[in-house]
Amino acid sequence: MLKINELKASVEEASILKGLNLTINSGEVHAIMGPNGSGKSTLASVLAGREEYKIEGGSVDFYGEDILEMDATERARAGLFLAFQYPVEIPGVSNINFMRAAVNGKREHEGLDPIKGKDFLEMVKEKSKLVELDGRLRNRSVNEGFSGGEKKRNEIFQMAMLEPKFAILDETDSGLDIDALRIVSEGVNAMRSPERSFLVITHYQRLLDYIVPDFVHVLVDGRIVRSGDKELALELEERGYDWIKEDITA
Amino acid sequence: MGGAKPKLMDRSIFEAKHAASEASGAALIEALDKVLGAKAGVAFAEVPVPHRRVERWKYTPTAAWWRDVLAPDIKTVAAAKCDENPVPGLDAYRLVFVNGAFDAAASDLPVHTGVTCMPVSQRHGQKLQVEDAFSPESSDWFASINGRYSQEGMYLRIAQGVEVDRPILIHHHTCGAGTFNVLRHDIVLALNASVKLIHWSTAAAEADGSVNVLTRADIGAGARLHLDKVQDEEGIVRHIAFEDIRQGRASHAEVHTITVRGSWVRNDLAFRINGQGAHAELNGAFLPGEGEFVDNHTTVDHRVPHCTSSENYKGILYGKSTGVFNGKVFVRPDAQQTNAYQQNANILASENSRMNAKPELEIYADDVKCSHGCTVGQFDSDALFYARSRGVGLEAAKAMLVHAFIGDVLKGLSIPEVRLEVEHRLAEKHGWDVWSDHPNDDS
Repeated sequence: MLKINELKASVEEASILKGLNLTINSGEVHAIMGPNGSGKSTLASVLAGREEYKIEGGSVDFYGEDILEMDATERARAGLFLAFQYPVEIPGVSNINFMRAAVNGKREHEGLDPIKGKDFLEMVKEKSKLVELDGRLRNRSVNEGFSGGEKKRNEIFQMAMLEPKFAILDETDSGLDIDALRIVSEGVNAMRSPERSFLVITHYQRLLDYIVPDFVHVLVDGRIVRSGDKELALELEERGYDWIKEDITA
Repeated sequence: MGGAKPKLMDRSIFEAKHAASEASGAALIEALDKVLGAKAGVAFAEVPVPHRRVERWKYTPTAAWWRDVLAPDIKTVAAAKCDENPVPGLDAYRLVFVNGAFDAAASDLPVHTGVTCMPVSQRHGQKLQVEDAFSPESSDWFASINGRYSQEGMYLRIAQGVEVDRPILIHHHTCGAGTFNVLRHDIVLALNASVKLIHWSTAAAEADGSVNVLTRADIGAGARLHLDKVQDEEGIVRHIAFEDIRQGRASHAEVHTITVRGSWVRNDLAFRINGQGAHAELNGAFLPGEGEFVDNHTTVDHRVPHCTSSENYKGILYGKSTGVFNGKVFVRPDAQQTNAYQQNANILASENSRMNAKPELEIYADDVKCSHGCTVGQFDSDALFYARSRGVGLEAAKAMLVHAFIGDVLKGLSIPEVRLEVEHRLAEKHGWDVWSDHPNDDS
């Protein structure tokens, strides 16, 4: 279970999250929507442990542990995963070795020996199928020269390799065509389980047709101002955000 | 200390230091003459004693060298038992030098048709190459020291069309205190000859001394020279190396310089491209740690048309270390259709490290393609966060980026065993447990 309580965070002196509360139980899929600049991506970065963001207050409890006390590596090893909005290119580091280091980091945390080469390659093969990741991409440098769709599929592939307890998908739908959106969503859906929860950050309701959420929240100015079920997303699609903003100020 | 602000440039102090360098340099020569005896009449007066006011030595501290003057304990330590082959699994001919002396027992000289290879001291009437106006001895004080005192080194001649079947490993090992080691390697490759050389320098942990090594290589038309140069010296060794390379028509010369360890290292490479259609390649990687100093000076002199050169130096500086890169490229008026490339990229891995980088291109021909780039930066924080968000530890993530950063330089090493050993030693030095980016190496 992830429990965010009164979370406040800033970057470069600008206050972005202003007392955010959210509880996500195992097995649940939550979607966060909101206008530009409302703090959606900041929330993702803060949860994943990006050090440029300063925590001004509040707490985040992750399966009984205070993750704000952990660094990014420790959070990942504890089972938190962030699918990046803009996956980073790392020239010179092959995708496969990157993932081997990641998998072995997790295994080290669990007290296991490094994975055997053969087992690892089999795992890669199996998980690649999930998002139809081209085998040729494995030996290429991490995300270098990947198309937008390939980058996002690679994120879901990495998620599948690491089998996190909780995954944040930060605008995973941005830059995807319909086919890629379907493939990525099917990959995510295949990973849904009672032990795993998701936080889906998106601008558009369209993604939620594919990844159907249990709850939808609206983030405005660093706070969750409204929560509902998937119908809320449809309403937002139709009416935009202004009526919610007006509701708050009214 | 008092609050007085130091003056930006105090001329009298500057002059005094300069005078001290001059005096120290002269005293060193006097001391060396007593012990080693002067060999040749090198016109020292013409060559300025290294000092920060001399452009070539602006960023290179030489004071440590003058300590030898205060304690001119110059001796030739008897050949100690050297390590076994420093490159495991490498099948190569070997010439081993310990403290500047040839260690015959540890060596395995080439027996090969068309190859004459022996220590310089045994060359019996075979003449060394003649110095000329372009020799480093004519312009550099430390090279002059080499010209005056070198006693040993490798003498190598490869006859026309001969390809040496195995690499030749020159291993120099320094041990003990107060040693002053001067070596000169003299190489001539005839028409279409080809050889791979490895120049490996090591020093024992208790070593305290200096190494001055000059390699002259005359690469004939169509000939090929690959030189992998690895410096991994423990102890306190002042290491200065000159490569003086002359290239003939359609020849190919590559020098890859990897500095794994060294308290004070200066590499001075000069390529003179004298024949059309020749290609020069010089790459380097240096990863100095706490207290280490590594300086790479290079000169590529395009003297004739239709030649290419490619240069790629990468530095990563840890702790309180200092690096220098100075890359000169000359394209002379006649050298039309030259294609010269130079790249120097550096990462400051600590706040206390320092890098002085200076590309110097002098282009006097108008129909040429010359490009260069020079960067000094830090680790890519986005890439580090990305790796950490996947559960990779910070140090492992940095090691990954380091490997990616210098990967293209390491790939240039001509011999796979050398590359593996270099990677192993770098990993050992920097405490990286994972150092494997050879895809499918265990599939």
